[in-house]
Amino acid sequence: MPYLGSEDVVKELKKALCNPHIQADRLRYRNVIQRVIRHMTQGLDMSSVFMEMVKASATVDIVQKKLVYLYMCTYAPLKPDLALLAINTLCKDCSDPNPMVRGLALRSMCSLRMPGVQEYIQQPILNGLRDKASYVRRVAVLGCAKMHNLHGDSEVDGALVNELYSLLRDQDPIVVVNCLRSLEEILKQEGGVVINKPIAHHLLNRMSKLDQWGQAEVLNFLLRYQPRSEEELFDILNLLDSFLKSSSPGVVMGATKLFLILAKKFPHVQTDVLVRVKGPLLAACSSESRELCFAALCHVRQILHSLPGHFSSHYKKFFCSYSEPHYIKLQKVEVLCELVNDENVQQVLEELRGYCTDVSADFAQAAIFAIGGIARTYTDQCVQILTELLGLQQEHITTVVVQTFRDLVWLCPQCIEAVCQALPGCEENIQDSEGKQALIWLLGVHGERIPNAPYILEDFVENVKSETFPAVKMELLTALLRLFLSRPAECQDMLGRLLYYCIEEEKDMAVRDRGLFYYRLLLVGIDEVKRILCSPKSDPSLGLLEDPAERPVNSWASDFNTLVPVYGKARWATISKCVGAEHGGSELSHTAPFAISGHLISEENKERVQETPDSEAFMLVPNCQLTAEYFEKTWLSLEVAHQQVLPWQGEVHPDTLQMALQVVNIQTIAMSRAGSQPWKAYLSAQDDTGCLFLTELLLEAENSEMQISVKQTEAKTEKLNSFMSVLETVIGTIGDIKS
Amino acid sequence: MIGGLFIYNHKGEVLISRVYRDDIGRSWAADSAIFTSSGPFLGEEVNANRRNAVDAFRVNVIHARQQVRSPVTNIARTSFFHVKRSNIWLAAVTKQNVNAAMVFEFLYKMCDVMAAYFGKISEENIKNNFVLIYELLDEILDFGYPQNSETGALKTFITQQGIKSQHQTKEEQSQITSQVTGQIGWRREGIKYRRNELFLDVLESVNLLMSPQGQVLSAHVSGRVVMKSYLSGMPECKFGMNDKIVIEKQGKGTADETSKSGKQSIAIDDCTFHQCVRLSKFDSERSISFIPPDGEFELMRYRTTKDIILPFRVIPLVREVGRTKLEVKVVIKSNFKPSLLAQKIEVRIPTPLNTSGVQVICMKGKAKYKASENAIVWKIKRMAGMKESQISAEIELLPTNDKKKWARPPISMNFEVPFAPSGLKVRYLKVFEPKLNYSDHDVIKWVRYIGRSGIYETRC
Repeated sequence: MPYLGSEDVVKELKKALCNPHIQADRLRYRNVIQRVIRHMTQGLDMSSVFMEMVKASATVDIVQKKLVYLYMCTYAPLKPDLALLAINTLCKDCSDPNPMVRGLALRSMCSLRMPGVQEYIQQPILNGLRDKASYVRRVAVLGCAKMHNLHGDSEVDGALVNELYSLLRDQDPIVVVNCLRSLEEILKQEGGVVINKPIAHHLLNRMSKLDQWGQAEVLNFLLRYQPRSEEELFDILNLLDSFLKSSSPGVVMGATKLFLILAKKFPHVQTDVLVRVKGPLLAACSSESRELCFAALCHVRQILHSLPGHFSSHYKKFFCSYSEPHYIKLQKVEVLCELVNDENVQQVLEELRGYCTDVSADFAQAAIFAIGGIARTYTDQCVQILTELLGLQQEHITTVVVQTFRDLVWLCPQCIEAVCQALPGCEENIQDSEGKQALIWLLGVHGERIPNAPYILEDFVENVKSETFPAVKMELLTALLRLFLSRPAECQDMLGRLLYYCIEEEKDMAVRDRGLFYYRLLLVGIDEVKRILCSPKSDPSLGLLEDPAERPVNSWASDFNTLVPVYGKARWATISKCVGAEHGGSELSHTAPFAISGHLISEENKERVQETPDSEAFMLVPNCQLTAEYFEKTWLSLEVAHQQVLPWQGEVHPDTLQMALQVVNIQTIAMSRAGSQPWKAYLSAQDDTGCLFLTELLLEAENSEMQISVKQTEAKTEKLNSFMSVLETVIGTIGDIKS
Repeated sequence: MIGGLFIYNHKGEVLISRVYRDDIGRSWAADSAIFTSSGPFLGEEVNANRRNAVDAFRVNVIHARQQVRSPVTNIARTSFFHVKRSNIWLAAVTKQNVNAAMVFEFLYKMCDVMAAYFGKISEENIKNNFVLIYELLDEILDFGYPQNSETGALKTFITQQGIKSQHQTKEEQSQITSQVTGQIGWRREGIKYRRNELFLDVLESVNLLMSPQGQVLSAHVSGRVVMKSYLSGMPECKFGMNDKIVIEKQGKGTADETSKSGKQSIAIDDCTFHQCVRLSKFDSERSISFIPPDGEFELMRYRTTKDIILPFRVIPLVREVGRTKLEVKVVIKSNFKPSLLAQKIEVRIPTPLNTSGVQVICMKGKAKYKASENAIVWKIKRMAGMKESQISAEIELLPTNDKKKWARPPISMNFEVPFAPSGLKVRYLKVFEPKLNYSDHDVIKWVRYIGRSGIYETRC
């Protein structure tokens, strides 16, 4: 965020840095340098004073040195030629008698991210590895990893690796841990650092000397070690026992994971471990450090998946306090929902009922959903509570209760009667799309049990013109047709009106298509309608699907103590998939919004797309010419609507591709030259309704796949799918020709 | 592995930014280096996107209108672990699948270290000490890996008066070398004090959730024993408390002692120790022995749930008089020895949103209706044990069409008492220094107990 007048600031600072009077006065000099760093932090481009800053590095003032080095590490890649001037000073500092200065210089030199620096840092690093001060050795060891990162995919230096392996025996604990980290990065291609028996046992013996960060890291590396015999395994577990009670929750969780993984063939040991970490986990869950508490709660939930009864006797620990932050309350409600059993169900439900009237609508809704979850086992009590909640006539409560009912009647048919009695009257308190859909669905499927169901639906039909959500209209069509089958006399007239409206006046294509489809279906005959629409009204066998049996500990042990329990498995899969596709150094993709918003095409929409085969009307307009500026502006303002990866072999021939795209009316806005890496192209197209499709193609040499990101000016899923199929065909064809 | 660390103020301005790994945005230097090869348009576009990653944190978290959804936020496949201290946000950023607990612990540690150097973490302090913070960040993390984070050890590297480099004496230099190579990471050798002194603070926070009928829904005490030591050499310390298990073990010998101390012993649910405590000894003999770090550190952390002394009992009475009036009466009773004094007592009685006016009468202290917080805040400076005090208030309400019932948030309370609500007592702390000639008797020892309220709520 550049500020106004930034140029003046730079000029002034440059002048001050050159001023011999200031240079002579140590404090003033340092002050000016501080101002440079301050502006750098705020986001101003200070690279133009690089020369002056290099000069300032030749000083005895160690704080000034640190500041200048920080500056250099930030801007060196921009001014590689000038940065070389600084190397000299740095090299000199590397042989300073003071270990602090040596360490600082070496660290800074390794952090200069610029081409050609390797040849200068190699020797100082090697010297550093044999330095007598452990402070310098720590820096040098990590320096090896930095140097390797600079090289990129170059050959691994065998001698250096051996040297690092031997430094694992260093007497300084931090050097040891740094060695592991460094080796891990250098040997990434070969599967990371090798933990064999001598190394594993050496590390185990050093564990107690390490600080908490080191312990956590080593526990993580030990996961790789496979003990030869059962005896050795239990020896290791005994050695590590005390870490289950460490004061650092991170170490506790790391140790727990190691135990779970090592003992994967001994379920009773795993259970025993989980019993023993109960105390520390509960302590973390009630600790004052809220963020830590959150992380612990996520892991408690993970454990509950396998051992539902594990925390049942401690259910009161998971009651929410009024002043706790939102995210902790939501986690606690989830935990409560899972640890319910015959003994505590009464108290837990009472507690949850209290939350349902919370001021925060989000929290109240989460509590209602939780009651809905418990209702699968304790149906009667829960349905009664939910019914009482309807009496409050609160919009945000009613809509969630109705949605809960919708899910519940599928799984627990025994509650249909109670739900049907509770429903009348709800329609006045529901305004949002989700709630309306749920209510309409219930009225359609179980309408024969609700005396005034047709009249409620009639209200919806009457107001259909002012209805804003297409999804509600679709639901209404289906529900009314279903109800028509069981109560034809009351529904026939309004069904006619609704179909007429949907076919003649409705603007949304999907709704119109659905209307037309039902109209044609009715023309075929009532038996056909019944065959298609009368699906089973509830299905208790789904209960098993929805409520999976206890998952074995081994299914999640490898995810324990990572980000997976924090984000949830599904969400993490999306995040890590994108990272995988992007692979390594390139940060080019524009998938950012995609990762945040998750599935843009919801399950429902997919279904709908399949049901509307009319999308063949898709047409791209020829000669849609956009300027590069306009394209860029639009591109930046939109979110990614769709992402896909297609296989691709070898080089790209931009001309061929451009020609082929031209044929199907897709214009090329910008393209990298042939052979550049990564190769990118920006495309645009417009369909007959005026919707623009902006596309980015990204090809990375090592991946042999083409990554496609599409943005759309109007959110129309079916159009997007058609566009994708066109694009896929073209790219597929070009790819085939070449290979 | 942490890719970068950022500190923001409440407006979302970046106060400190330190990037350790290439894969994290903000340093535009890295951006343009990667993209000099691609065309100008591509480069610029990507550039904007990358800077967005960090600015997006401002938009998505700091400026977000709703409450924070999770302390771990994923923006553009980058995880932001954030912690808020007063109105300062600290965010650790990474692209790797790290373990969350560790990163949060690291952020807490960072806060502790900063607090040890310059006190409270506030915008002003951070701005004034920003050079120091960069120095700290340089030492604590290297290439994104935590290095040395003990304040005591760090103080040898970062002295805040950096001109020492040339004038540093030979002795000091060798001290750095020996300190950093030393076997005991948390204490350097050759410490000398004229007066050997140590302070023990037992700090507890008592948490309570009580039903309107006075039934305890949940209660626990989380406590810390903080030790501040100014001891010469490498002293061996042994700490003893009224832990039930230990006392029962010893009590077998003399029946007399069991009856005397048996009542006072407490059951500790779980406890954890500073790294310096020898855990093997604790497991076998349940004795706590250690060589303490110099200066202040947290010796132990524990939690109890049984036999908690609840210092205050709150008895609420809310009566709705018609649709426009509420009568509230709250009685608090202090439940500890009459000779002790509780301090900084504050009772917070929530009022409905549509409150138009409040009349309060209280026997003791001062009470005020704070419209902006929707609460009556009743403050009492001091209160002795076994006393009772009462407040009554009449709340007038504006008639509203809102059918929403008032949710009646719980009455919360804050206080400070000079004893440990868990019942924990320090029995002894013995110091042995074999090499230097001072004995346990020469050490001046101070013990203090402070019990504070954590989340202390009574539903009404």
